[in-house]
Amino acid sequence: MSAQSAGSTTIAASARDERPSTGRRWGYWLRNGLVYLLLVVIAFIMIFPFLVMLFTSLKIPQDTFSYPPRMLPREQILAPVVGEEEQKPLYNIAVDGAVREMALVKDNIKIGVYAAPDSPDVTFERPVKDVKPVGGFMNQQKVAYNGEETPLWEVEVAGAARQMVQVGQTAFGQFVDPQNPDVSVLANVRLSEPVTQFTWRPQNYLDVLQLNGLGRSLTNTMLVTFGVVLGQLITSVLGGYAFARLRFPGRDTLFVLYLGTMMIPFVVLIMPLYQLMVQIGWSDKLAALIMPWIFTAYGTFLMRQFFTTIPKEIEEAALLDGASRLEILWRIFIPAAVPALATLATFTFLYAWNSFFWPLVIINTGNTDNHVLTLSLNVLRGRAADSPNLVLAGAAISVIPPMLIFILAQRFFIESATSSGVKG
Amino acid sequence: MGFLICAVALLQLIGVFAGFDALADRFPRALLPLGVSFIGYLIYVFADRYENYPKRQRSIQNTGKIVMLAGLALALIAVVGWESVPGFIAARLQLPILLALAGSILFGLMTWAMWRHPTALAMNVNNARQEALEGYLFLSPNLIGFLLFLAGPLLLSLYTSFTNWDGFGTREWVGFGNYGKLLNLTFATLTAANQPANQAINVKVYDELARFSLFGSHYLIGATDKLFWIAMRNTLLFGLLVVPLSVLPALGLAAILNSKLPGMKFFRSVYFIPSVAAVVGIALIWQWMYNASVGWINYAILSAANFLNSIFGAAWIAPQPRWLSTSDTALLAIVVMVAWQTIGFNTILFLAGMQNIPKVLYEAATVDGAGAWRQFRNITLPLLGATMVFVLSTTIIASFQIFEPIFIMTNPAGGPNNATLSAVLYLYQNGFQRFNQGYASAIAWLLFVIIFLVTMIQYRRQRNVTYEM
Repeated sequence: MSAQSAGSTTIAASARDERPSTGRRWGYWLRNGLVYLLLVVIAFIMIFPFLVMLFTSLKIPQDTFSYPPRMLPREQILAPVVGEEEQKPLYNIAVDGAVREMALVKDNIKIGVYAAPDSPDVTFERPVKDVKPVGGFMNQQKVAYNGEETPLWEVEVAGAARQMVQVGQTAFGQFVDPQNPDVSVLANVRLSEPVTQFTWRPQNYLDVLQLNGLGRSLTNTMLVTFGVVLGQLITSVLGGYAFARLRFPGRDTLFVLYLGTMMIPFVVLIMPLYQLMVQIGWSDKLAALIMPWIFTAYGTFLMRQFFTTIPKEIEEAALLDGASRLEILWRIFIPAAVPALATLATFTFLYAWNSFFWPLVIINTGNTDNHVLTLSLNVLRGRAADSPNLVLAGAAISVIPPMLIFILAQRFFIESATSSGVKG
Repeated sequence: MGFLICAVALLQLIGVFAGFDALADRFPRALLPLGVSFIGYLIYVFADRYENYPKRQRSIQNTGKIVMLAGLALALIAVVGWESVPGFIAARLQLPILLALAGSILFGLMTWAMWRHPTALAMNVNNARQEALEGYLFLSPNLIGFLLFLAGPLLLSLYTSFTNWDGFGTREWVGFGNYGKLLNLTFATLTAANQPANQAINVKVYDELARFSLFGSHYLIGATDKLFWIAMRNTLLFGLLVVPLSVLPALGLAAILNSKLPGMKFFRSVYFIPSVAAVVGIALIWQWMYNASVGWINYAILSAANFLNSIFGAAWIAPQPRWLSTSDTALLAIVVMVAWQTIGFNTILFLAGMQNIPKVLYEAATVDGAGAWRQFRNITLPLLGATMVFVLSTTIIASFQIFEPIFIMTNPAGGPNNATLSAVLYLYQNGFQRFNQGYASAIAWLLFVIIFLVTMIQYRRQRNVTYEM
């Protein structure tokens, strides 16, 4: 609702633009500023998931599950430590009030949380092995704590030994200064902030193309899309021309029939189409993904609408000159219809590239050779559920090509969207 | 003429179409030439920049065309792979195929001969008949595909919905049995709100669907196919949520984008991007963002709550739902994603509608002193009627067919606890997982009836709107 009122303010702003007075100028800038802010926020929301996809698909596996989530792919820096053979991961650790980069040399050191029985809120964390039992291991002294007999330990606090009970347990890591391993600190590894650097792993894309035969499905998708677009252009041009310009008995009835089928939802067709494909032996074949989509009422309708706008005189002149219909179509109509053809092509391209339901029904899950991208993604989702970097790399492979083409040939996309609005 | 096409169809049926699979093997080789061809297309489009220099535009367009055609030709050569042609022919030297081939060549020759002008004159064909002939000829590829892949299956589907076919065996006529089972409901009055269902209804036939209380009495509804009703309820609920969420913001955005401020085309393009992407890909992205522990959405909620807490000094606890695996939130999560994807498309439609409204009206209104809101309310909205009806009905129709996001994002599909089971998903499960194809066809036709009603309302409304104008 807020978007609506903001929209009306722009109209007001542009209306006031014509008679600006100093007092209103400020209101004008303020309103336009708010409008742009709103637009930018919404644009951000629209783009954000794609950024997530892109950056996650470039992450190294360990980075995908880091929390809080972060956008840019990063990796932890490893550093050589004096006296250690392997490189160790670096963390930002507070030492004596200053934050320093320390290397984690030992993990999972058992730490007890100790407190005096009379003041359990003041706790001290000490390695379990540094704490001695009061009275020795054999007959350790016990004290009543929380209504239970609890063993008593000797804990060193500020140089003095005090008797405490253990109230909790945790695991710390030992961090050392890489140059000077004698400087050593114990800290919780999970809560420490790793020192990271920007990194990216384009290898994900190659991995995902090999895993699952995604490469094969990519070429399959291209082939199917290519076939559908080309085939649909041909049949639509021929049919559209016949409906627009040639008189033959039953033409109008047929055209109404065509129009009528445009509102039949695909779900009604999916079952009988499947049965038909089984009957003629096309189930599991790429042909089943191409052939049925070559003939659409929508494309025929679009081309017919366009062809009727071309003046009849040109055609008649050509006919008198002895040109055949095919020549007329090829020389006059198709060149004139390039924008309409491009619109239809982009529409069909999107449809064919993105379709999922029909391939899911007709192509067997086991027959990976004939999978299209969307199907492979569906399989990948199950097989690589624990590596989102791979799943999203796969998603990027299917999502980015249409986007690139959209950026390059925007106006045809916008036209194909609006032309669907004209059809009712 | 039909004969010619039948012969060709027969021929292709036996040989060529199965060849698509083999084609896929070699298709990668064609990618490079196809890329070249695409570059040609880009060059061709690029020529539009020189609209004011017709000569340069022409030459660039021609270059583009040549590159495009050369690329296509190379691609064709690469895909067909000449070395395989002899083997292909040898494998198909069988009598029926040869017959079909001969038949189609014969028919083809005949048509070609008839088509040529002199022959037509010799055979005394008048213009009208020739035109009709050509009309059928031009239409025939389209028409045959139309009959084969649309009209035929449609009738078959209607027939199947009255049978109990499993997709393979014999089909038995069951009349309205499928529809009866889907739609059959029973009502019973309960003595107490928590009375067990088996005391009120015949639980061998009916499953308990819902119970409710009205004016102090308690009622129970049972259904023969409980899942169908759950699916219908979910579908309806989905539609009720998704339609306003994707239409109202789109209307507002279109109103903003329709202003003359600079940069509006850029925003229009950005908003359109989600509708270009594959639903499957988008569903995977959102599934990851909905992740309960490390997903962005829960993190955004947490950050927002922390931010508000720091401002107001409150201590609100941010909810961190497991979006897709809690039955309360799963459908909502999908609604949000689908609305996000459709808003841009609807915005474009509204924008096109708004640009058709004559500017004179706004100018007159401004002169009369009408404010922005009144202009929007009294000019834009009424004149947007046709677009509005169209956007509403397409969104509603699409929402009734929701399937892909649910199939991808919920696990198991339709879960948790049937909270996202939609009508089409139920159809898919029945038709292609349990192979009750007759039953699934009945679901499809019920869905069709609903969608048909929406379309009819759209038609009537549109007619009224045009009359008013």
